[in-house]
Amino acid sequence: MKNMQKKVVAFLCNWCSYAGADLAGVSRFQYPPHIRIIRIPCSGRVDPLFIFNALKYADGVLVAGCHPGDCHYTSGNLVARRKFALIKSLLDFIGLEEGRVQFDWISAAEGNKFAEVATKVAGEIDNLPQWDGWGERK
Amino acid sequence: MTVLENIKAKAKELLEAKEVEVVIGFAQGTLPGKCTPYFARTTEEVERFVWQDGCNLNLANYLSKFSGKVGIIAKGCDTRSIINLIKENQVNRERIYIIGANCPSMGSCHNCRHPQGVIADFYAEQVQLNNQDDFSDVEAFEELLSEERKNYFYQEMSKCIRCYACRNVCPACYCKECFVEENLPCWLGKTTDLADNIIFHLTRTMHVAGRCIDCGACVRACPMEVNLSLLNRKLLKDIQELFNTEPGLSLEAEPVLNEYKEDDPQPFLIGGEESV
Repeated sequence: MKNMQKKVVAFLCNWCSYAGADLAGVSRFQYPPHIRIIRIPCSGRVDPLFIFNALKYADGVLVAGCHPGDCHYTSGNLVARRKFALIKSLLDFIGLEEGRVQFDWISAAEGNKFAEVATKVAGEIDNLPQWDGWGERK
Repeated sequence: MTVLENIKAKAKELLEAKEVEVVIGFAQGTLPGKCTPYFARTTEEVERFVWQDGCNLNLANYLSKFSGKVGIIAKGCDTRSIINLIKENQVNRERIYIIGANCPSMGSCHNCRHPQGVIADFYAEQVQLNNQDDFSDVEAFEELLSEERKNYFYQEMSKCIRCYACRNVCPACYCKECFVEENLPCWLGKTTDLADNIIFHLTRTMHVAGRCIDCGACVRACPMEVNLSLLNRKLLKDIQELFNTEPGLSLEAEPVLNEYKEDDPQPFLIGGEESV
């Protein structure tokens, strides 16, 4: 278990961040293989349960959506923003490491930013202590 | 007249005038110091009402069980739950008559800020109380090292037997279909493994965030004495700090997670608040 490749689940919004990841791909920007992308219709679709459940199996979670003001559905990411602030704070409260769950805004034009963020998140999670999968992994 | 006499007089008046079909209140429980919810349909039954220490259950939960007009004896947390239920179209304001009274179990809830009713059609007592909630319990926990916090949290979560009493008793948890029972897709493991317990409680906390008014019903219902209010109160504190609002105080204000502002804080971003 110890030397296995760490996994990071990335929930990317269809309209911006997923296209940003796509652009990173076609632009041949390198980013670490930790990232497992799940395409979601909007960052507003991210139920807190998705994040908590992903941590049962993965070592980290990245959530990315359109920049505020650019949402395909006008306000999906703005409503999600309040929720994200609470999720992040709650996870910190119960003793999760700072870098375990991360959020960012990545537009469809920011292929380079996606590669940077993915590299940064993967690097931070590599440096964190072994994740216990909510106490299920020994 | 005492508060209880005021309550009884009003309840009788409502029932005699056939303004309501039932008045929801408390009667003496079978254990000393405990009171049980009581549904008075006649003026004789009204005599069984009590208003004393131990009347701490949240009665707002019972409103949806009746189709006709209902009277309810409501303390602070009951009225705040009723406000939320009205706003979320679970209860029709026209269909309920609220008899407001100060919470008789003063001191049982940590720093309760709203012991008196927030809305009422009739106040059985006029005394206004003003308490301050300093969230000192949450702050004390925040001061601990992250390992200590995690160890305590895991230990609390491992106590849960997944009876769902906390959900059943919660006035904010009125969904007919709850994610915990969904099978297709199976959102949540049904076992009492630590991971499933943690995912259940974190998700539950987020589901009631911005609607939870810290009535403490979940804590009192829990047979395993899991410290659920720590999570709920943490989010109440955050909501106050980040969005400067408190749930269940007005019929007009949107629930905090249902609305947004252009300049909401975003401390969760990778590069911090200013990175956009």
